[in-house]
Amino acid sequence: MISLRNFSYRFEGAEAPVLRDVCLDVAPGDFLVVTGPSGSGKSTLALALSGFLFNQYGGVATGSIIVDGLDVGQAPIYEVAEVVGLVQQNPEAQFCTLTVLDEVAFGLENRCLPREEILTRVDWALDVVGAAHLRHRELATLSGGEQQRVAVASMLVGRPKVLIFDEPTSNLDPPATAAIFDVIARVRETAALTVIVIEHKTEYLRRFEPRWIRVDGGMVAEADRPPMAMWRAVRRKGVDGAGRVGHGDTVARLDRVSVGYGGGWVLQDLSLSLNAGEFVVLMGDNGSGKSTLLQSLVGFLKPVQGRVEILGYDTQRTPISQLARYVGYLFQNPDHQLFGDTVWEEAILAPRNFGMLDDGRRAEIERWVERVGLQGREADPPFRLSYGQKRRLNLISVLGHAPRLLLLDEVLIGQDPGNAAFVLTLLRETADRGVGVLLVSHAPEVVATYADRVLFLSEGRVVVDAGPDEASVQLAALGCWAYVGSAEDIPQRLADGGEG
Amino acid sequence: MSRRWTRISYVPGATWLHRMHPVVKAAWLICGSVGVFVVRSPWVVLGVLPALGALWGCLSPGHVRGLRLAVWTSVVLAALQMVFHREGIQWVTLGPLRLTDAGVRAGLYVGARFLDVVLLSYLFVLTTEPNLLAYGLMQVGLPYRFGFALVTALRLVPVFEKEGETVYRAQLARGVAYDRSGPRKWLVFARQFFLPLLVSALSKVDAMAVSMEGRGFGQYPRRTFLREVRFSHGDGWAVGALVAVVAGLVVYVVGV
Repeated sequence: MISLRNFSYRFEGAEAPVLRDVCLDVAPGDFLVVTGPSGSGKSTLALALSGFLFNQYGGVATGSIIVDGLDVGQAPIYEVAEVVGLVQQNPEAQFCTLTVLDEVAFGLENRCLPREEILTRVDWALDVVGAAHLRHRELATLSGGEQQRVAVASMLVGRPKVLIFDEPTSNLDPPATAAIFDVIARVRETAALTVIVIEHKTEYLRRFEPRWIRVDGGMVAEADRPPMAMWRAVRRKGVDGAGRVGHGDTVARLDRVSVGYGGGWVLQDLSLSLNAGEFVVLMGDNGSGKSTLLQSLVGFLKPVQGRVEILGYDTQRTPISQLARYVGYLFQNPDHQLFGDTVWEEAILAPRNFGMLDDGRRAEIERWVERVGLQGREADPPFRLSYGQKRRLNLISVLGHAPRLLLLDEVLIGQDPGNAAFVLTLLRETADRGVGVLLVSHAPEVVATYADRVLFLSEGRVVVDAGPDEASVQLAALGCWAYVGSAEDIPQRLADGGEG
Repeated sequence: MSRRWTRISYVPGATWLHRMHPVVKAAWLICGSVGVFVVRSPWVVLGVLPALGALWGCLSPGHVRGLRLAVWTSVVLAALQMVFHREGIQWVTLGPLRLTDAGVRAGLYVGARFLDVVLLSYLFVLTTEPNLLAYGLMQVGLPYRFGFALVTALRLVPVFEKEGETVYRAQLARGVAYDRSGPRKWLVFARQFFLPLLVSALSKVDAMAVSMEGRGFGQYPRRTFLREVRFSHGDGWAVGALVAVVAGLVVYVVGV
């Protein structure tokens, strides 16, 4: 089905090729899982196989890629697209219309199929991905998991022979992740497809017994055994010291807080406190109110009822500019929070804005820059950094003004195990220096290895607030199996309803 | 929870205005807006208001952001015209201000014309699904590349609005204080605000281009549509009425 022969590719202006001498044969019906560190060339491989690398980027390619007898490097993109479908990482970014029906029909309409055939094939595709009930919904109203199902259906409906998924679950919680991989397996069986999945969360895919392909430094090699599970790898690189009790003063307090917008409550009657030196992991399904809680803590969202305090300051009455002096806030997307012209300007931005950039602070930030491996890159524009480097720069950028509370919204998304472990180690050290850390994460391993305490939100309420061990017991009792123990066992535990 | 104003956007419903073909509605909006500028009689322009008000009442769209502002703006416009208009028979004098019969007519004309256009536009927006308008336009001959430019814009506006809010909040979290800075610093902050948005927009354009081309967009000069925006008998009557109104306007203009 697919044959790559000595394929190399170098982006325009780049010194080194991103893919080197790739040789790979894929038989019809094969199920490949491609793993490797961030920036290793996995997504470039996906773009090459689907033809977009030759169509949209002005790099230099050598060697050949043949898919179903078609020379991908030479054929028009429309011909390649009829054979290979590419489901990208963020479904929201690839939607071209406003409703589910329009989106799934989009490709068939472009290919001028008659209306009756479009209707039949749309129904079939939605049925295969388990999204028939979403047929008349607007895309903007779908959850992340539902959006990804629609994205898969919109590619499947064109009946390609190869379907490539580029990190399809990076924004999803554990139950939705497991569900999407079930969908992918069902799609493969139903439509007799060759499937290639690029993914860090390999623990979910082992049960499908795929072929494992590892991409590292542009080299592609077959792995004779599955890679270590994402979070186990993180755990192995982790630090001791989690689960500590007896922390410092309270840095944040919520007293019977309710927050609502868009006609409903997102947080309801929520009371809790966060202490200095405490590493708290905030868990919960997508939409449970985690981001809203973080945004309420820094005053971006004001409570409709109750009171939020940061170091004794009432967020209703204190300007955000004053609260921000004590809080470091890291958002989900690294690109949304890069403001400096250079890496150094970025690192000193907050202390400069807060008027606290003295020689001592500069020296400390210089040490941070070195610690995260960005020395020598100080004069580079931040947007030129790799994803992992941007994440590290984000982190030191919010540490520069010595906040007392650090709020981190799903900052581990898209990180390979090495980067994730590095970021978590820095966070643990930050907590050990007396900073309160509140990290949104879905991974039980992060809790077991780094956290002192777990908060679990469900429908805007805290349903678990305990140390890691006790939290596991309580989560198990609640049936939240995806958040207990090792992520490797999640699919099995979800499948058998938590037995064992 | 506090009462929230509804943004001016499509409100789903089943009224005959909702069911009317979006292109016919767009034609009414354009002709109506041009018409109130062509007609010079304040009484005709004023007479349109009760009709629009009745339509508005039938729809019951609730509170709409900007409607009160529009009404007050029209009142202010009318008042300014009335008190500063110098021609006509003088009715009342208050210092430098004079109220004349011509001034009252001019004020009523300007205020009512403004409100006519605003209400017509609101009615159109409240009862027309934007997506349907784009599909309707494509099916009456607008090249689909242009039609999908509209659909894509409709889809991306809320996405960028949300991203803009995130970037703004990320700035606040890093000590950016728009309210306590001079114009020069404000410009620096504004540039810092737009840079992440630009990068995000470019990445979205890339993803969307891959998605569209990967599904054959642009492969053929024409395309088929699953969603059919059909003309009904009611639309036929609406078009007939519109033709009559336009003909009347032409006769009026020629006569004048």
